[in-house]
Amino acid sequence: MENTFELSVTVNGKTYQEVVDPRTLLSDFLRDQLGLTGTHVGCEHGVCGVCTVLLNGDPVRSCLLFAPQVHDQEVTTVEGLGTIDDMHPLQEAFREAHALQCGFCTPGFLTTLVPWLEENPDPTEEQIRVAVSSVLCRCTGYQHIIDAVKLAAENAR
Amino acid sequence: MTYKVIGKRVKRVEDPRLLTGGALFVGDVNLPDMLHAAFVRSDYAHAKIKSIDISQAEEIPGVVGIFTAEDMGEDWKPGPPLVSPPPTLEDVVFNSRRQVPLVKDKVKHAGEIIAVVVAETRYIAEDAVEEIFVDYEPLPAVTDLEKCLEPGHTLVHDDLDSNLAAHLVQHKGDYQAAKAEADYVLKRKFKLDRGAAAAMENRGIVVDWDQKNQHLMVWDATQSPIPIRNGMAERLGLRTHQVRVVAPFVGGGFGPKIMMFYAEEMVLPWLTMKLNRPVKWIEDRKENFYATTQEREQIQEVEMALSKEGRILGIKQSIIHDTGAYDPYGLTIPLNTQSHSMGPYDVKNYTSELSVVFTNKIITTPVRGAGRPQGIYIVERMLDIACREMDLNPLEVRRLNFIQPDQFPYDHEIIDQAFTNLVFDSGNYQPAYDKAVEKLEYERFIKEEQPRLRAEGKYIGIGLVPFIETTGVGPYEGARVAVEPSGKISAATGVGTQGQSHMTSFAQIIAEQLSVEVEDVSLVSGDTAEIHWGTGTFASRGAVVAGNAVLAAASDVRSKVLKLASKVLETPEEELELEGGLVRVADIPENSISLGELAVLANPFRGAVEPGTEPGLESTKYFGPAYGATAFGVHGMILEVDPETMMIKIHKYVTVEDCGTMLNPMVVEGQIHGGVSMGIGNAYYEKLHYDENGQLMNASLADYLLIFSTEMPEIFEVYHENTPAPNNKLGTKGVGEAGAIPVPAAFAQALENALEEFDLEITETPLSPNQLYELLHAKEEDNES
Amino acid sequence: MKVEGEHIFNGTPGQVWDLFRDTEVMAAALPGTKKMELIEENTYEAVMFVRVGPVAGEFSGQLLISNEDYPRQYTMTVEGRGKPGFMKGVGDVTLVDLDGNQTRMEYQGEVQIGGRLAAVGQRLVDTVAKSIISQAFEILDQVLAEQAKAAEEGREAVYKESSESDYISAVAKDVIKNILKRPDNDGDEE
Repeated sequence: MENTFELSVTVNGKTYQEVVDPRTLLSDFLRDQLGLTGTHVGCEHGVCGVCTVLLNGDPVRSCLLFAPQVHDQEVTTVEGLGTIDDMHPLQEAFREAHALQCGFCTPGFLTTLVPWLEENPDPTEEQIRVAVSSVLCRCTGYQHIIDAVKLAAENAR
Repeated sequence: MTYKVIGKRVKRVEDPRLLTGGALFVGDVNLPDMLHAAFVRSDYAHAKIKSIDISQAEEIPGVVGIFTAEDMGEDWKPGPPLVSPPPTLEDVVFNSRRQVPLVKDKVKHAGEIIAVVVAETRYIAEDAVEEIFVDYEPLPAVTDLEKCLEPGHTLVHDDLDSNLAAHLVQHKGDYQAAKAEADYVLKRKFKLDRGAAAAMENRGIVVDWDQKNQHLMVWDATQSPIPIRNGMAERLGLRTHQVRVVAPFVGGGFGPKIMMFYAEEMVLPWLTMKLNRPVKWIEDRKENFYATTQEREQIQEVEMALSKEGRILGIKQSIIHDTGAYDPYGLTIPLNTQSHSMGPYDVKNYTSELSVVFTNKIITTPVRGAGRPQGIYIVERMLDIACREMDLNPLEVRRLNFIQPDQFPYDHEIIDQAFTNLVFDSGNYQPAYDKAVEKLEYERFIKEEQPRLRAEGKYIGIGLVPFIETTGVGPYEGARVAVEPSGKISAATGVGTQGQSHMTSFAQIIAEQLSVEVEDVSLVSGDTAEIHWGTGTFASRGAVVAGNAVLAAASDVRSKVLKLASKVLETPEEELELEGGLVRVADIPENSISLGELAVLANPFRGAVEPGTEPGLESTKYFGPAYGATAFGVHGMILEVDPETMMIKIHKYVTVEDCGTMLNPMVVEGQIHGGVSMGIGNAYYEKLHYDENGQLMNASLADYLLIFSTEMPEIFEVYHENTPAPNNKLGTKGVGEAGAIPVPAAFAQALENALEEFDLEITETPLSPNQLYELLHAKEEDNES
Repeated sequence: MKVEGEHIFNGTPGQVWDLFRDTEVMAAALPGTKKMELIEENTYEAVMFVRVGPVAGEFSGQLLISNEDYPRQYTMTVEGRGKPGFMKGVGDVTLVDLDGNQTRMEYQGEVQIGGRLAAVGQRLVDTVAKSIISQAFEILDQVLAEQAKAAEEGREAVYKESSESDYISAVAKDVIKNILKRPDNDGDEE
C-alpha cells in the first residue's frame, strides 16, 4: 500500500487501531477488514440504504464514507444492536411480524429505525411509513416492516 | 394426527441469524490468500474488437493476471442451453445461441465481458480495469423489435440469416370459425415492457480450487446450485464429487439468479484452477444492470371475438418477444405468456403466433412473473376495452367467462413452459372474485364515493383484475429427512432459498409428521453436498414440488419410526402415539422411547441390520408432478392521480388469493406484499431505458426507480380462499409470483377509470408520470383536432 | 439527445467562422481541452477532459467539418471515446448575417452517448452540454471583443486564459440552476 492512514475507531464499543488504504469505503472497512459482515452493500451510490450504520448515534450510508472519515469516532453496526441470545426489542419485533424475508436489507432498517424509535416512541402509522422509506426492500413490500415498528413501539409502552 | 403445524404462523427459524448480522451471504466469504476479479465490460452494444491493450494495467502492483478469450484457449466455450424448445410442438424454429465467458471478436450487448483482471484487492482490480484500452469498431445496434426482422437488417449473430431466434404457433379449436360467428371483433396492439429484478443483493461468486484435494468449492448466489454443480464439473472435466456448490443465504432471487452459466460463473472456476488461489467476484449495482439478466419487451397484436353478451369466443394473438443477445433460457417467458393469455376464462378457440428476436441488449430470462403478467395484461385489457365499447358490465363479463368448477381439470390443449399440455388442475373462481368485489367495496365506490370525490375535483379510479398463475411444475425435487441420535431432525432439499422461508415452512411439514418442535428441525437448502438431485427455485414451485418431497420423506421416516418402535416396545403400530419427540404406547404412556434413542438403535454398532431395510431413520424422496397446480387470485385497487404531476397514490389494495393449502400464512402474506410491490414498480415506476444504440440510459438506482414504503398502498388487505390442489398431498399451490402478475393490468384499468373524462385507452405498460402525461396530451390534441 | 440553440456574436459571419476554425481559440474556449489539432483538411483531433456529475475522464476523438458554405453554414460531426464512455454527434451550424456587425449562430444536432456516461450521467449530460456551450460562447464573445479592441488600437490580440476551476464551478452552478428551475419557467438566462 503506497498511501496509508492509521485509523482509530470504536465499533460496537470496541476500539480498533487499523492501517487502511485511505480510499477504503467504510462499508468495505467494516466488512473486510474488521470482519463485521452484518452491514451489507446494495448499491454503493447511497440510494438503497442497506449499508446504513450509526455514526455517533446517527444513521449514515457507510458506502458514502471513507474509512478515515470515522477516525476517533463511534460506529454502531447491526452486530452492536443485539445478539442471538439477547436481541434488541426491534429485532424481536421484526421476527414476530415477519418483517424480513431474504434478510439482506434488514441491517439497514434496524440501524435506521432503532435511534428513530428512541426519538419517536409513539409514532403514527404514517410517520412509521415515512421513516421506513429510508431503506429499500425488494422482498417484503414494507407492510410487515411497518407492523414490526408498530409492535416494537407498543411493546416499549 | 392431532399435532398440526402446517398452516400456522410459525416464526422463522432463520431469523435470529439474519437479524443479528450473523448470516453468511456470498459477499461475506473471506478466504486466506483470496484474489479479486474485476471485469472489463464493453461500452458498446454491438462492436468488433480490434485490439485490447493491457500493457498499462499489467504494471499496477498487486495485479496478478489479466485474461482475455484468447488466454482461455480450448477451455473457451459458450454456456449450455438451459431450456430447449418444446419437443412436443411441431414446426418450431429455434436458433440456440448462448452467452460466452469472454468476448471473442464481436460484442453483442453492452456490458459483455472482454477481459478479466485478477488482483490482490478489489480496489486494485478495478484500478487496472480503468487502464485497459479496448479498440472497438462500432457496428449499428439491433434494437427495434419490428424492424430487426426486415430483410437486410444488421444481424446480431452473423452465422444466422436473420435476427429470428425462434418461431412457433399454438392452436386450440378454430379461431376463424369463432370469429365468423362473433357479434363483435376487437383488435388492438400492445407494447409491454418489464424490467430488472433488482434484488437487494447483487450477484456474486467465490471459487476455491484445492489442488491437493483436487476439489472445487464454490459459493454462488444462485437459485439452482445442483445444476450449476453438474454443469461446472462437466465444463472443467471434473467428476461431480469434486465440485461442491453452496448457495448460502441469498439476498433475493426473483428469477435472474436462476440463469445459469453467466459469464462470471464460467470464468471464475477457470481462473481458480489456473491460478491455484481462491478468487472472489461480487457484482456491484451498476454492473448488475448490464451483467444480470432482465425481462423486456413484447409487442403483441391481439384480436378477440366476442358474443354480444361479452362471452369470449376466441382469441388470436401474435407476439414478438425480445430475448436480447442470446437465448439460453429457451422460450419459457413467451410460453408462459401464451399460457396466461386466456386468463381464467373458458376460451375454446385460440391461436397464437410467437416470434422471438435477437437484439443487442442484455439477455432476457424470467423475472418474477416470467411472462405471465403479459398474458394477463392483454386479456384483461381486451375485456376492459370490449366492455367499454359494447357497453357491458365488466364484473358480469368476467362472471360469464370464468371456467366453472365442474370443468376442472381444464385442458387448454396448448403447450406450456413445462412442455406438457396446459392443464388447469382445479379452481373455484366466482367466490374469490365476489369476495374481492365485496372487500374492495366496489359497488359503493362506483355509486357513491367516486361521484362525490370527482365533484371535489379528484381523479380517483378503481381497478379489479382476476388472474391465474401456473405453479408447481416439474420436473421434480427431492428431500432427505433424518432423525439424529440427539433426537433432533436434519433435512435437506435442493431448492435454494432467497427469502422464501423454506427453512421454516418445510420444517413445519416435518415437525408435523414427526411430532417435534419446528426449532428442532434443521433444514439445509442449497448445498450440493447435502443432496445430489434437484433443479432449483423457480416458477413458484418450491412449496409444491420440494414441499411434497419433504412430506413424502418425512412421512416415510415416520413409518420407519413407528415400525422400529413397534418392535422395541413390543406393541402393534396402531397402538402407538408419536408426541413431543417420543413414541408412546397409547394407554401406557410410561412405556415410551425417544426419537433419538430409536435413531441410535436403528444404526447399530454390532449385530445386523435386517436385509431389505436401511440403517438409520432416514429417507430421501422425490416428487414430480405430471402437471402443475393452477393458483387463482383477484387484485383490486383504488388509485388517485394528481392531474398536474401525474403522481399516484394507492388508497386501498385488496388481494384475494387461492393458493390451496398454505404452509405458513405469514409467509404467504409476505410473498404477496412483496410481489405487489414489484408489480407496482413494474406498472408505474420501473423501466429500463435503452436507446437506439443499445445503451442503457438509467443503469443506477438513482434513475431506475424501485419503490420505497411510501409508494405502497395506504391500506393493504390480503384474503385467502382454499381450493386444494388435487394432485399433491399437501394440496398446495405456488404463490411466489402471484403478487406481481395482475398489477399492471389493474393499474391500466384504475388509471383509465380515474381519468375517465379524458377517455384514455391504455395499451402499454409500464407507465410513469411522464408517460401518462404524454398519453393525456396526445389525447387532448386528438380531441382538439 | 437533441442539442440546439442560438447565440448572437458581435462580429461578421466571416469573423465568427474563422474563430471556430482557430484551434488555439477553440482550445481556450473549451477548458479541459488538452489537445486540438488540425490533422487533415477539415479534420481535427482533440483530447478533452470532461466531467458530468460523478463521471469524469478524458475523451479523445475526431471532429469533422463538412458541407461547407462559407460563411453561411457547415456540418460538424464529432466522435469521441474515453474511460467514461463514448459519444458521437452530428450538428448543423448556420451563421446569419444580422445588420450592425452582428451574426446569429444557429445550431442544431443530435448527440448519442454510451458507457458509464449514459448509465450514470444521462440526466446531467443535457445540462452539462448546454453549460459547456454557453460558457464557450462567453469566452468567444470575449475573444471577439478583444479582437475588435486590438484592431482599433492597432495591436495584437491578447487572450486571457480561462481557469478550469472557474469553468467547473460555472458548470456546477448551471446544473443546480437547472434542477431548481420550475417547469413553467421558460428559457435560459442569456
